[in-house]
Amino acid sequence: MTPVSGGYAVDVPTINVSERARGEHATIWSTFRAFAVTLRRLFTSLFKGDIPTINYPEESRPYSERFRGTHILTVRDDGSLKCVACYMCATICPAECIYIEAGEHPNPEIEKFPTRFDIDMMRCIYCGFCVDACPEEAIIMSREHHQSVYERSETIYGIEKLMARPGIDAKGPGYRPNRPMAEAKIFKKQEQQTCPFPSHIEERHPAVLYESMIRRRG
Amino acid sequence: MPKVTINGQVYEAAKGKTIIQVADDIGVQIPRYCYHPDIGIEGSCRMCLVEVKSAPKLLPACATPVTENMDVRTDTQRVHEAVRYAMEFLLLHHPIDCPVCDQSGECWLQDYYMAHAGHDSRYPLGQKTRRRKAFNLGPLVKLDQERCILCTRCVRFTRHVTKTNEIQVFNRAHNSEIGIFEDRPLNNPYSGNVVDVCPVGALTSADFRFKARVWFLKGTDSVCAGCSTGCNLRIDHTARAAGGGIPGYTATDGKIYRTVGRRNVEVNKSWLCDEGRLSFHTLERWPRLRQASVRGKQQPVSALLPVIHANFESVRSDHGDDAVAALASATNTNEGLFLMKKYFKGRLDFRLGREVEQYQQQQDELLRRYDKHPNTHGALDLGLAGGLGGLRRLRDLAEKKEVRGMWISFHPQLVGEDAPEIIEDLKRLIEALEWSVVCTTHDFGWAHEADFLLPMAAWAEEKGTYTNYAGRVQIANRAVMPAGDAEPLHVLMAELLNLSGVEVPTDPAAIFEWIASEVPGYGGLDYDAIGPSGAAVAPVPEEVLR
Repeated sequence: MTPVSGGYAVDVPTINVSERARGEHATIWSTFRAFAVTLRRLFTSLFKGDIPTINYPEESRPYSERFRGTHILTVRDDGSLKCVACYMCATICPAECIYIEAGEHPNPEIEKFPTRFDIDMMRCIYCGFCVDACPEEAIIMSREHHQSVYERSETIYGIEKLMARPGIDAKGPGYRPNRPMAEAKIFKKQEQQTCPFPSHIEERHPAVLYESMIRRRG
Repeated sequence: MPKVTINGQVYEAAKGKTIIQVADDIGVQIPRYCYHPDIGIEGSCRMCLVEVKSAPKLLPACATPVTENMDVRTDTQRVHEAVRYAMEFLLLHHPIDCPVCDQSGECWLQDYYMAHAGHDSRYPLGQKTRRRKAFNLGPLVKLDQERCILCTRCVRFTRHVTKTNEIQVFNRAHNSEIGIFEDRPLNNPYSGNVVDVCPVGALTSADFRFKARVWFLKGTDSVCAGCSTGCNLRIDHTARAAGGGIPGYTATDGKIYRTVGRRNVEVNKSWLCDEGRLSFHTLERWPRLRQASVRGKQQPVSALLPVIHANFESVRSDHGDDAVAALASATNTNEGLFLMKKYFKGRLDFRLGREVEQYQQQQDELLRRYDKHPNTHGALDLGLAGGLGGLRRLRDLAEKKEVRGMWISFHPQLVGEDAPEIIEDLKRLIEALEWSVVCTTHDFGWAHEADFLLPMAAWAEEKGTYTNYAGRVQIANRAVMPAGDAEPLHVLMAELLNLSGVEVPTDPAAIFEWIASEVPGYGGLDYDAIGPSGAAVAPVPEEVLR
């Protein structure tokens, strides 16, 4: 391909803007043409039922299976958290929005589990690195993205909210390593009436969360 | 002095040294698990194999003494392969539970795998031998037999260093495993060191267990303030050590997570006692004193210091210079004590009890000493044991109204409890005084009896030097920020001295320069030249001791 004049490798048509504007000059005819378009649309939606508008938020568009919404902590078959508190997600997190405290699991084969797992959803950039870093398929993302709360502190999700909150079932899982979940599953209220380890979830304050974020900047 | 060639470079090595010791001295890296400079030679891990020209087979560098004209190579293909195969055997039954292992991030298996092995395991994960996980060897140590590579460092530590022999290798061949006898837990006063010497995640600290991942922590070299031995240690802590951020929101003062022994052959080799290792928890035992106050009313420190200075001046002018005195703490740095001596014109003492008799007495054969203050030697060097005669005598002087105004700085013992009679004496002293300033680290009830209460930075929150029992000046660095408004003692004293018209720097290095120019024995010492392992001062003359 040889460069033509003007430096472009391909032949690019040049548009004379003023000429085009003269052609589209608003006349009485173009006004009626525009009304005709509107009327045609009105009748097709009235009689053919072809309505492109979605009544959000009652309806919403289908989201991709790989949509990266608020996180989900998955569980084992017995309903306990899959997470082993390895801090891989907190380490990779570029927004430094994950705060974990680990405890001793009664089963020495599992050894470690999070007594606290907080994600500051306002700080999170939904990059999905935590999902990639997780060695256990313990954290996945959902297709949920609504963040309407009354207080800023409510946007810090703890274990309870991350593993079982209303809306996960309706929207379904988003970005995750295995399309059909291989090692873990999403917690369902019907199967398990009580949430495991609820007593560990205490009052959270943003300042405490930020302690973990400052660590690496010291 | 045999001449040794290592990787083509000729070095002169001391006779009797092994190849690995010579390589360590000159900075050639030889991988090793079982060899530890302070425990002795075992030769079981086969990681340090090197090629020696005259020898037909590879030789273990840790167990081969250097000889004249030895030609050693650590970088040949044969050596690389030997190390790679050794790693493959060591990792054969490794459970690869790095995500839950506290050692990961500082694990030698991880490091050497990345550096020397990088192979795929030929042993399927499901068929690996399972062993006991996460059981307590003692109050401070947890053992995971699956992760153990049987380097026997811990066994040799209890055999050669503490001579208590709690940890042993049980069974033979593939069944051999590290363990303890059922009725003899690992509870000697130095048990925490086996965690430090374990190169893998087999022995982990029960105190630090699951508290943090090590890559979030920052290490600051410091000195233990638990007793007069002054063991070298590294403080692992979070957060920035110097200000910034939004207070209470994005700024944190930092938190100490653990302390690890730092090698200093002159003082503690690589060891720490358990009390000293856990002494940083003492700082959390009571609530910290965060704000200065005058008779219960909170005030900023900067506004209080001129008032305190004016009070001391008025006592001096009304009742003579002798009516003002000070009680120092032997847990403060040389810099703080020196400026304190300057401000109080030598009328101060630091003796609470029997420090001076005890500071060189050993509590056991290894490290611990009876005097639980890190800087008794330094205080003696600075001449703080003068005519005032300690706390008991000061109390008598105050009760006789010979001393009317006093500055009392108090730092609690990091190891053990302060004797109750000391606290009782302090209480009586404050009661007897006309007015008093108590400068302390924690919110002690008795301190509120004083007229002025000043928060003081505790150990690990200030920078300065301690002089240990043997007269070795060592630098204790600041790891975390002081709590609240607390300031290091040398900063408070520098400000008081500035108020009295003496220009004083607040930088510990500059203050130390001043100390070096005035205090006998410290002449010629330079703060920057002290370095990580400290520098010795001349011995204290006998008359100063008395």
